[in-house]
Amino acid sequence: MSKRLPDIWRNKTSEKSIGLILKKLRVSAQKEATKSRANLAEDEALEWLKPRTLIKPDDQDEVPDADLEEEVGRVLTTINPQWVLDEVAYHYGQNRFALKAKPTFGKAYPLYIYQGTAIRKDSDEAKAQIAAGYGMVGFDDAGPKRAKVKKSAAEEEEEEEPEPEPQPPPEEAKPEEDAVQEEEKPVPTEEAEAAPTEVADEQAGDEGGEEAAGEEKEEEGGGPPPVEEVLDIKPRVKKLANQFNFCERAALTYNNPRRSVDTQTIPPPRANYGSTCLQSIIFDFYQEDYAKKMREKEEEKPKRLRKKAAKHAKSEQQIHDEQLAQRIREAWTILERLVNQNIYDDIAQDYRYWDDPSDEFREGMGSLLPLWKFQFEPMRSHAVCDVQWNPHYQDLFAVAYGSLDFTNQQKNGCLCLYSIKNPAYPEYSVVTESPIICLDVYKETPYLICVGLYDGNVCVYNAQLTLESSYQYKSDSVRDKHSNIVWEIRWGARLIDGEASFFSISGDGRVVQWAVMPGELQATTIITLRSNVPPIPGPDGTLLTVNSCGSCICFHPEKADIFMVGTEDGMIHTCSLKYNRNYVNSVQGHHMPVYRINYNYFNNSIYASCSGDWRVKIWEDGRDEPLFMFELGSPVGDVKWAPYSSTVFAACTADGKVYVYDLNVNKYRPICVQAVVSKKTKKLTRIDFNSRLPIVVCGDTKGTCHVVKLSPNLRVMCKPPKKAQSVDQRTLQIMKLDKLLSLVRDPPFQTGVVDEKFDDD
Amino acid sequence: MANEAEETIRKLSQHKGVVGVVVVNGEGIPIKTTLDNHVSVQYAGLLSALVDKAKSVVRDLDPTNDLTFLRIRSKKSEVMVAPDKDFILIVVQNPVE
Repeated sequence: MSKRLPDIWRNKTSEKSIGLILKKLRVSAQKEATKSRANLAEDEALEWLKPRTLIKPDDQDEVPDADLEEEVGRVLTTINPQWVLDEVAYHYGQNRFALKAKPTFGKAYPLYIYQGTAIRKDSDEAKAQIAAGYGMVGFDDAGPKRAKVKKSAAEEEEEEEPEPEPQPPPEEAKPEEDAVQEEEKPVPTEEAEAAPTEVADEQAGDEGGEEAAGEEKEEEGGGPPPVEEVLDIKPRVKKLANQFNFCERAALTYNNPRRSVDTQTIPPPRANYGSTCLQSIIFDFYQEDYAKKMREKEEEKPKRLRKKAAKHAKSEQQIHDEQLAQRIREAWTILERLVNQNIYDDIAQDYRYWDDPSDEFREGMGSLLPLWKFQFEPMRSHAVCDVQWNPHYQDLFAVAYGSLDFTNQQKNGCLCLYSIKNPAYPEYSVVTESPIICLDVYKETPYLICVGLYDGNVCVYNAQLTLESSYQYKSDSVRDKHSNIVWEIRWGARLIDGEASFFSISGDGRVVQWAVMPGELQATTIITLRSNVPPIPGPDGTLLTVNSCGSCICFHPEKADIFMVGTEDGMIHTCSLKYNRNYVNSVQGHHMPVYRINYNYFNNSIYASCSGDWRVKIWEDGRDEPLFMFELGSPVGDVKWAPYSSTVFAACTADGKVYVYDLNVNKYRPICVQAVVSKKTKKLTRIDFNSRLPIVVCGDTKGTCHVVKLSPNLRVMCKPPKKAQSVDQRTLQIMKLDKLLSLVRDPPFQTGVVDEKFDDD
Repeated sequence: MANEAEETIRKLSQHKGVVGVVVVNGEGIPIKTTLDNHVSVQYAGLLSALVDKAKSVVRDLDPTNDLTFLRIRSKKSEVMVAPDKDFILIVVQNPVE
């Protein structure tokens, strides 16, 4: 306890210095009070000027200046200097002076008392805990130990008495509690001092060993808490180690001595790499990555599904080869087109832009501008037996190569598809065993072409297939082919079952319908053309009926079951699919074989026919006499109505001329006659209007196809009347034809009229 | 396929004004030609470089685009090139007088 005194003294010396400072402050404050107007810096300099008058009370004692000057320190401290720490009192029982127990710090007034969770180590509870070895352990083991404490407590209960708590009798406990409380109280009591001592005495015997350990711990802990200070006084008391008292333990391992070892490896090979990274390259890599991801996704599919797909899929190499071949083919095609464009540039320009300027000055007359000539080298000696524009591709037309020279017949024929973009070579060509006489392109699928052969067979070609595979369908040569030349062939409507079908007419007098079944053609004879010739007796006496030879067939544009048949003896029969014996109508149209019949595009009852008797006739359904008749001075191979005008038709003759008529302009004379080929060597066989472009193709007997352009006067369209500007062209064309027909029909049935006019010519 | 190629080359070279046809493989080596050997090698070498450059020009302007054909018109002749990643087809044609 005496240790504390020097502390206080030291404090006092510091108090003195504080007092000095305070005094100085006070003096300066006085000075400021006396002369407020002067500032601090001037104070000392001006002191002597001012007379000082102190007003004193009369009865004031005289105090010497020295006393006044004396410094009186006033100190505020937390420590009560009046407090006698080591107060002793004589203890009569012991016959000696004993220390009076006092609270540590002066007077304290409890304002608020809070019962802490800490317990005194000499309390029964603490004892119980110590007995359980609880005070010796760290915080971590507190849980289980606590359980142990309770358990041991329970055991004690069982052993001693059935009390609910293992507390000692209340008499002993109460003083303890008082002591705890009274320690905080300002006035210590004897009882309070005595009680802990007693308790300590009691405990000393039991827990001597443990106490030493507790003390050691306390010393290690350094600054002991104030409560422990109190305990200090009673060193024998076993200190209860609280559960928050941690014991730190540390161990130091050996440090391995440092050592540095250097090694050097062979430097890895280096190379400089440079590459340009362009936007397109990045794009490509992304595409590749995307494809890869897609493939991986595909592979994630269940195996069963994949197997199915794999069966049908070709190997990668195959696909690549096919694609490559296709790309090369396309590249060649385009290169060929480029080369052709260079060669035929002037013709292409003419085709597109050149219109005969002289048309403006000659009313009602036109001309034909020859454009390309199409020739297939192996087919030089063949005749163009049929020619037809493709209904779907406006630049494409099909050509049938055969022969019309029956004394010197060719051995083979050829089917070619030409594009006006490539006049040098056909886009598609296939050689047939027999000359081809006729063909027809299927409108629904424009790559299917049916052909009629010289030997009476019919075939269907698929232009989509490569050149090697020839026909797709062919009639059975033994069972149901025609026994004569197939003169014309036409696709018809689909059958009830949905199969495509076509009709052929042949020199054997039969019209046969061919149904395109999978893998074969099924023939049905629609009608056999009877002849007026009476049955001829055969070599063995039987009578043979002679059929008339069919030469052309033409279907009604709207009524699919009505068709017209021309024969070699000049008859034109109107037939129906529903009657296989009788004709609906029959007209003696010509005196020579009827070569072609063609329906008008705008009026279904008007049709034109041409014949070897040099004549072209315009007919109306139900009339036995033609409406118009024109003589062209040479066998007429073909006649076609123009698709753009109801009154324009064109015909080609054996003397190499193309005739174009516009009945609206001139009812008697052609508006254009032009020799397309020289009449000495070549004949024109067939002609066809392009459905969309103002061009006409015609074939000759030397295997050349001529494409000519119609001059503006040949394709005059109708001008709508002022009253009805919005009427469309088709209606106008129909009106035009009707008007014309009414003029012709007006004098009812004058047989001589046409002939008469013609004679005037 | 080989026959078809032969046939096509023959057909093309018969066109009016066509001087020569060269087929170049993916590595820039002429594999079929109707021209002299050294001329076709020169065409193959120079044009494959030009095709690469032209392709990169087209691709860089729009990565989704691609070069399909190349026509080089000169005073004396026209060179038509069909480039592909696996081959280059070259046709040299003198313009029609």
